[in-house]
Amino acid sequence: MGENNIAGFNDSKGKKFDEKAFADLYRRMYPTLKKYAIYLVKDIENAQLILNDVFISIWKNGTIISNEKAYLFRAIKNAATNYQKMSKVNIWPIDSEEEATEIIDLKETPAQAFQNKDRNRVLYSLIDQMPERRRLIFYMYRIDGFSYKEIAALLDISVRTVEDHLVKGFQFLQQKVLQNRSEFR
Amino acid sequence: MDQETWKLVLEYLAVKENARSSKAEIAMLKQKLYDWAGNDRARMEQLEEAISLWENTAELPDDGSWKESFATIKQQLDKTPVKKLKIAKWWPAAIAAAVIGALLFFVNYDKTPWANNQNTIIWTTKTAQPGKIVDIMLPDSSEIWLNSGSSISFPQNLKHADIRTVKLNGEAFFKVKRDPAHPFIVKSENIQTMVLGTSFNINAWKGYSPQVTVLTGKVAVSRDSAGVQSAAVHLLPNQKVVYDIKTARLMRENVDDAKIAIDWRTGKMNFDQTPMEEVFQTISRKYAIKIISDQSFKSCQLTAKFDNVAINEVMKTISLTFDIQYTINKQTIYIKGGKCN
Repeated sequence: MGENNIAGFNDSKGKKFDEKAFADLYRRMYPTLKKYAIYLVKDIENAQLILNDVFISIWKNGTIISNEKAYLFRAIKNAATNYQKMSKVNIWPIDSEEEATEIIDLKETPAQAFQNKDRNRVLYSLIDQMPERRRLIFYMYRIDGFSYKEIAALLDISVRTVEDHLVKGFQFLQQKVLQNRSEFR
Repeated sequence: MDQETWKLVLEYLAVKENARSSKAEIAMLKQKLYDWAGNDRARMEQLEEAISLWENTAELPDDGSWKESFATIKQQLDKTPVKKLKIAKWWPAAIAAAVIGALLFFVNYDKTPWANNQNTIIWTTKTAQPGKIVDIMLPDSSEIWLNSGSSISFPQNLKHADIRTVKLNGEAFFKVKRDPAHPFIVKSENIQTMVLGTSFNINAWKGYSPQVTVLTGKVAVSRDSAGVQSAAVHLLPNQKVVYDIKTARLMRENVDDAKIAIDWRTGKMNFDQTPMEEVFQTISRKYAIKIISDQSFKSCQLTAKFDNVAINEVMKTISLTFDIQYTINKQTIYIKGGKCN
């Protein structure tokens, strides 16, 4: 998988990978990349498989990729496209994504989370409550540093939609923090 | 803070953090924000809050979840030269793992106490409205497809619960995230289904005999009356269990192809000598319609398969089978006449 999309591959003169660098790359890329794979194939098990496949091919290649982020996301996208072609299962058009993935009642405050005063942790526990696509966009933007345009291309949506999701995501956080000001301080 | 202002804040922060941005550009955007805030103290506070939200989300707290996933890669790498993976090849291993896990679990289960304190648990309920199928990801990464008119409840602390318990009304297909230390239990009318990590379908409509059909892994189903469970019936792939309400017994059966049980996910309907009353209920859930009939069709049964077709197609077939006349008016179907063959 991924032979036809080696943009960013620094094949001959790249430094050799060691196991530590490989694990480190995995640790950094895993959170968003996994979400991205799930988003594309709508199946956790197969998303994991695709993710592993991409990393295994990197390991076997044995070189450090110059633009690893762009490369990995493209590779996942290609692998997911191949997978969808391969799998005969056409999943019944699932309900609107917002309804389908918003699994936690937003009216409920995660009291437990707020007890733990680590703001960064609390914020990410709130971010994890966002609908799937919004959460993914948030991660891609904040954690992986993709631009609106890059996210739009990876998700096949418009730049305006990306911006809209981010704005709504931040609004949601702000509103939550306001509601729980006393605990949050 | 309104959307337009948030857009501006995000633009300002992105430009500010970009090394290539000019000072003038940054200053210009900053001024715009100041203009918005004016002398309003509340607005200034909101801006500060927004910027701190930005700063506090710059990094992801490491919850270590990558490690488990990385371990699976390491395993694959340590084995013989890695072949190109095919999705299909992977399944037997997963099934084997699930079966082994399930066996281990059944050995250990009796020692596991019910450690949950039910009083403090907040439950969340998700519902698939008639005419809709909903795909839900639970906090523990288990995936559930809810059939039209079904609902599922799960505790907010599901991910950290000693025993992952969920409650089902109606029909759902489960792909349970494997976690041998934390069994997954589905409570539904009359029966309880216990697994580790596997996929299976539960059909438990109120008033009808519930059924559990296994696609992968191993599942234990027991009768549940007021929280007291009978001995479990163990199921393997392509087996199902039907609970007979009249005799209060669990009956295990082999099925040719368990996938048929989850055909509903792709909009199909399969009826096999199904009482008409049940057929009409299934139709009304799937198409979000009401069916009004001037007779009961009580002793009628239908055997038919429908692909994901329009309601007209379905009604045409039924009308030919039972010699009925029908009219569809918006979300209601009126049925006249008809007799069983």
